[in-house]
Amino acid sequence: MKIETKRPIIKKKKVSGESIVKMKTEITELLGIEYPIIQGGMAWVAEYHLAAAVSEAGGLGIIGAASAPPEWVRDQIQKAKKMTDKPFGVNIMLMSPYADEIAKVIVEEKVKVVTTGAGSPEKYMQMWKEADVKVIPVVASVALAKRMERCHADAVVAEGTEAGGHIGEASTMTLVPQVVDAVKIPVIAAGGIADGRGIAAAFMLGAKGVQMGTAFIVTEECQVHENYKNEIIRARDIDSKVTGRSCGHPVRTLRNQMTKLYLQKEKEGASFEELEALTLGGLKKAVVEGDVKNGSLMAGQSAGLVTEKMTCEMLIRKLVKGTEKQIRGSVFYE
Amino acid sequence: MTERMKEIVAEALNVEIETLKEDTSFKEDLGADSLDLFELVMAFEEEFGVEILSEDLEKITTIKDAAAYMEAHKE
Repeated sequence: MKIETKRPIIKKKKVSGESIVKMKTEITELLGIEYPIIQGGMAWVAEYHLAAAVSEAGGLGIIGAASAPPEWVRDQIQKAKKMTDKPFGVNIMLMSPYADEIAKVIVEEKVKVVTTGAGSPEKYMQMWKEADVKVIPVVASVALAKRMERCHADAVVAEGTEAGGHIGEASTMTLVPQVVDAVKIPVIAAGGIADGRGIAAAFMLGAKGVQMGTAFIVTEECQVHENYKNEIIRARDIDSKVTGRSCGHPVRTLRNQMTKLYLQKEKEGASFEELEALTLGGLKKAVVEGDVKNGSLMAGQSAGLVTEKMTCEMLIRKLVKGTEKQIRGSVFYE
Repeated sequence: MTERMKEIVAEALNVEIETLKEDTSFKEDLGADSLDLFELVMAFEEEFGVEILSEDLEKITTIKDAAAYMEAHKE
């Protein structure tokens, strides 16, 4: 299916005195949402409270299935449905031992959108397409984006290395326009975006929507430990570190005792097993126990831009207003 | 075919073609990560006009494997 490329339409509307900005792009049309803002399917972080709140606020909330068992995912989907009638999605981590079962749960529960990470979802495409699930793989290279288009993905998320968690090599600034040039399906930009300026910039690069993670971690509806949220609020521009480059699985987190030890050992040429022992269960430590010293505080470089806690609705409203201001407001001298 | 394949590998993974042997492993010997592997697969497909199914990706770990796959699946 060839999708015609149109410019994003941003309109201001007055509703009972307050001006509300409308944003219409191929992504809002494809997903049936108000704003082309997608909340990333972060492992352990993106559960149903957060996903439902983002969808209610007009974006697309996503439940992160990570390595969780299928029963947990089904329960999460059912709970999200009770909280919102609007579309939401599920992110499948394709290396999960439960990926096959979760792929089926998505169809059975009639989930509207699926995003995929850590590989290629080709073997599930037919099943999802028949069930009219919109499929949006997360990619970190042009080659994978092309491959996803060929197997009939509806859109792709082009995620730059500024993102948190498992990352690729290319930056958002360079990856997004190259993916935009390489495929005809709409591209969603991710990595490093945390405010209206970032969203406006993503549109300028040719994206039709954005996916954000870090900014949503600190929202009130997000159930992670307060310590984790506080670390993100506190983080500055240089507080982001990448561990695991030596074993081919780079992961971006906020720096702490764990990253210090890890990077030191990595430099000394420690074995894969020894390094893995340092991060094993680290995300759970951060999210559930609030252990900010030894846990994996997964967050993107945008943590430095995230400075206050608010509800998802307030955040999305702020993002939309900020985007409108950037795109409408002149960035040049008169 | 093996020679052409070596050229593709050398270019995609930025290694000297002289160092490549039939049993050179993309991952172990050349340090290819998952992004590199997709790069390779897309280049093979383009060159040889063969579609490599995703479930077969894991089976193709060396130049020899790739050549055998292409041979078996070409029209």
